[in-house]
Amino acid sequence: MSDKTIKLKIKRQDNPRSKPYWQEFEIPYQPLSNVISCLQDIQKSPSAANKVTVNPVVWDCSCLEEVCGSCTMIINGRVRQACTALVDQIESPIVLEPMSKFPVVRDLLVDRNRMFRALKKVKAWVDIDGSQDLGEGPIMADSVRATRYTLSECMTCGCCLEACPQYTKDNAFLGAAAFSQVRLFNLHPTGDMHADERLDEVMGKGGIADCGNAQACVEACPKNIPLTDSIADISRQTSLKLLKDLLLK
Amino acid sequence: MAKITQDQAHFFLLKVNSLMGLVPIGVFLAFHIGINSLRTVGPLQYQLSIDLINNLPFLFGIEVAFIYAPLLLHSMMGFYIYFSGKRNVRHYGYARNWLYTLQRITGVIVFAFLIYHMGTTVAPKLFYGKHQFLAAPFLMDVLNAEFQTWTGRIIYLIGISSATFHFANGLWGFCVSWGIIIGRNAQRNASIVFAMVGLALTALGFATVLEFSIDPVPVTPTVGG
Repeated sequence: MSDKTIKLKIKRQDNPRSKPYWQEFEIPYQPLSNVISCLQDIQKSPSAANKVTVNPVVWDCSCLEEVCGSCTMIINGRVRQACTALVDQIESPIVLEPMSKFPVVRDLLVDRNRMFRALKKVKAWVDIDGSQDLGEGPIMADSVRATRYTLSECMTCGCCLEACPQYTKDNAFLGAAAFSQVRLFNLHPTGDMHADERLDEVMGKGGIADCGNAQACVEACPKNIPLTDSIADISRQTSLKLLKDLLLK
Repeated sequence: MAKITQDQAHFFLLKVNSLMGLVPIGVFLAFHIGINSLRTVGPLQYQLSIDLINNLPFLFGIEVAFIYAPLLLHSMMGFYIYFSGKRNVRHYGYARNWLYTLQRITGVIVFAFLIYHMGTTVAPKLFYGKHQFLAAPFLMDVLNAEFQTWTGRIIYLIGISSATFHFANGLWGFCVSWGIIIGRNAQRNASIVFAMVGLALTALGFATVLEFSIDPVPVTPTVGG
């Protein structure tokens, strides 16, 4: 191997309440490395660039093929997955930060629980168990199936929320991912039976009307989910529900 | 009738806020800029339009219900919206994100401009008795004076372009927020149409400023005082 190295600058934080600080690392260059493999190399012999031994950097990852969303972090200022951030394709030194919209647990590991709470709030599932047997359910048109497939690729990674100017650490905004899931399950023929319940959940504080249409979500989404179509579609569903509630109830 | 929850009120107010930007505020803006541009045709045409408006029945009620009250509510909601988000174009400088940011900034600019604009043109009305006040000569005097300085011209150019941008971009936002345009192509096409609406209104406004600046004609009353 040559004496080429990979330089990293990492924003670290020892615990959820402590102050963050920056640390620089330098590791031997290896071809085809990604940010995760760099972090693994640092873990093997965790010493900062000035040769002082430090605690290994903490991060989260699982699938390593950009379908689980757990290694999402800010790389060179932009939010993305660390597993598909290839060292040869990104600028050096590589600057790593934890996502800023979620509470930091330690170093690059954040707590994305707010996203999962949002999924629970909007009832992002199809009810199958009721007091009576709902049967097999109606057949779905293939065009609907195709639309739903795209929406179902959401891995709750948080990129859309990190890039969103309306989603802040301390407000109640549900965010693009949750709105898109409302569309996904309202499109399902059986899920549609509870469409109004889902719409009710996004017609309040932090709901769909809070969206400022900055459309940063759709640009940041690593799965190219048409989040802005979903937002506009849920806007239409909620607008119609508002009119129905006002005029027909 | 069931009690309205806080969540329902929040949602309803934001929806109405978006609609208010179109009706009545946007419609008023278009009429205001359109009628004022009569000044480019001639001082008399401009004067006649002012006389007509100032002799409308229930004028004060119309102004409060369709202009002042909606503007006040739209401004209050606007500041709430401004502080509910945190602009981030530095890291995510996409076109739409810039428009989101500009929408909020122009909102604040227009709010400041309106305080100035209403201060010079509307506030003095309150100090005159209804029958002694002659709108057209008074307004022409005020505006002629304002447009004699570059400070005045620049204030109006910034105010007008901020308002037309906020209106044109807000039209697009209204269409998306109410779910009228959904798909990406529809949204792009609509933004082109609304940009042209905005540019047309800006051109009308700028032409009026130009006419006032190069030809400050004093006006005598058309009706006896």
